[in-house]
Amino acid sequence: MVMSDGDSAGTSAADWTFRAEDVTKTYNGEVFANDAISIEVQPGEVYGLLGPNGAGKTTFVKQIIGLLKPTSGRITLGPYDLVEDPDVARQLCSYLPQAQMPIESFKMHEAVHITGLIRGGPADEVRARGDALIEALDLTEWRNTMGHKLSGGVRRLVGYIMTTVWPGKVVILDEPTNDVDPRRRRLLWDQIRSLGREGAAVFLVTHNVLEAEKAVDRLAIINEGKLIAQGTPSSLKLDDRGRLRLQLMLVPGNGVPELPAIVHDSARVGNNLMMVIDEGDAAAGIAWAQLMMVEGIAEEYALGATTLEDVYIRLTGHTSAEPDGT
Amino acid sequence: MTATAHSMQVIPVKRSGPVHWLRSYRAMLRWQLTDMRLLLPLTVMVQLLSGVGLVLGFGLLISDITESVALYLSTGAVVVTLVLVGVIMGPQLIAQQKSSGSYDFMWSLPVPRSSASAAWVTLNVFIALPAMLGALGAAIWRYDVTFEVSFMVAPAVGLTLLTGTLIGYAIAHAVPKPDITQLISQLLIFVIFGFSPISYPIENLPGWLATVNEYLPFYPMANVVRDSLTNGIVTEVGRSYVILGVWALGAAMVAGWVLRRRK
Repeated sequence: MVMSDGDSAGTSAADWTFRAEDVTKTYNGEVFANDAISIEVQPGEVYGLLGPNGAGKTTFVKQIIGLLKPTSGRITLGPYDLVEDPDVARQLCSYLPQAQMPIESFKMHEAVHITGLIRGGPADEVRARGDALIEALDLTEWRNTMGHKLSGGVRRLVGYIMTTVWPGKVVILDEPTNDVDPRRRRLLWDQIRSLGREGAAVFLVTHNVLEAEKAVDRLAIINEGKLIAQGTPSSLKLDDRGRLRLQLMLVPGNGVPELPAIVHDSARVGNNLMMVIDEGDAAAGIAWAQLMMVEGIAEEYALGATTLEDVYIRLTGHTSAEPDGT
Repeated sequence: MTATAHSMQVIPVKRSGPVHWLRSYRAMLRWQLTDMRLLLPLTVMVQLLSGVGLVLGFGLLISDITESVALYLSTGAVVVTLVLVGVIMGPQLIAQQKSSGSYDFMWSLPVPRSSASAAWVTLNVFIALPAMLGALGAAIWRYDVTFEVSFMVAPAVGLTLLTGTLIGYAIAHAVPKPDITQLISQLLIFVIFGFSPISYPIENLPGWLATVNEYLPFYPMANVVRDSLTNGIVTEVGRSYVILGVWALGAAMVAGWVLRRRK
């Protein structure tokens, strides 16, 4: 199956690397929404863009698809300059925005089929691939249901199918798993992985670090418009080798207690206090946690391996559970 | 389970040219018709009723209506119907897209901007034409008037509809805040109903307002449509076509610029 209706220019193994070079986006010349972001993504890679609320992730991807224009910097895909030629950017990139798709008046299969035609796919192939995706995400029972009767999670998945029924070389997914139930979430991750295997470069914008850790090949952490770390999940966790995560469930109403010197980083989400300590300090950590429980400050504690979440907290000073809205 | 394989080995050449444009136009029109399908019958009905209602309403306003007055008023009703579809419906729909967040999705689709806009104008034709025919039919039935339809009816109605639609479209895309768009829409309705010589002769206006109206699009719209449906009751039609043409071109350029502009 091909994705072009005119491939006379040849089928040589061209370089389809996605490159963003020093992409900078300022508003009124002072607010840096993106500050010299450089990223290189190969076809077939699932690339995560992680960062807290307002970090500039959505601003960055909107510049790829031509909805925003960088103040300076270059974005190229293979031989094409996506900033100079937004028409070609829209043909080569598919975009699932964070907002729900406007499909109230569409039956599920119509929304998928017409979008596939709009994206330039031949009718029969779009139909076959659309139905295969509907089945793969276990949505067949709603195939003929109107959009306004679908739940938020199902609509989100329909949005994913609309974006990828006839995908471009680059697929940008902004929070694709929002509102999706855990079982279909796993089916969706399978599809995203296979999209990569089919040769698309997939950008995954998310605030869900734990999910991203399992799904992405590489990722970038963006904070306050700057790219502050980039690499595979394992390489980013290298600095945390030999460390453990100590989690303390605080009694509601209590402030953060004074932390012992063994704690490297800490962050609080609700009543959950997360800390990173050295493996060698495990016993001291447990003793301190038990003391907190005796004093009525904490209800329980847990000690476990560090995750990408801890890296994220260390780098951004935020936890990924904070609501996202950029 | 994964979906069928979708090879990306072949270089996608940038699509352009008339075949791509037509394909995009057809697909976008299909999208917009499906998008409107719950509302379309109702919208057409409301437009039809307002066209008929305007014509019948004049008979209540003026008790002893002559044929020439009836002819003037009913052609005015046709123009009002054509303009309102474009300047009200476009802004409303696009304002709704902007507040729901679906605007970004619609304009990230890989179609030429002009093909999406052309599909939008086509949709407006589907909605406006029944209303226009309803208004004409009501006038014939109620006032026993005779229209003398010339071949110029196609360019006159086409240009009026196109200009109205493009003005609404340009405003809707250019104004970032949806609620401001709605206000501008309201203001336009006020200007069209109150201070545009569509349903009354331009001579009835104070001199300065008449001059202003000669350069606004609404009086020329009334002039060319009336000319195409009647015989000998309007003058300076050529000038009206020129002014209307300039407005259509201007609105198309503004809409094109706004749609290509990236913040």
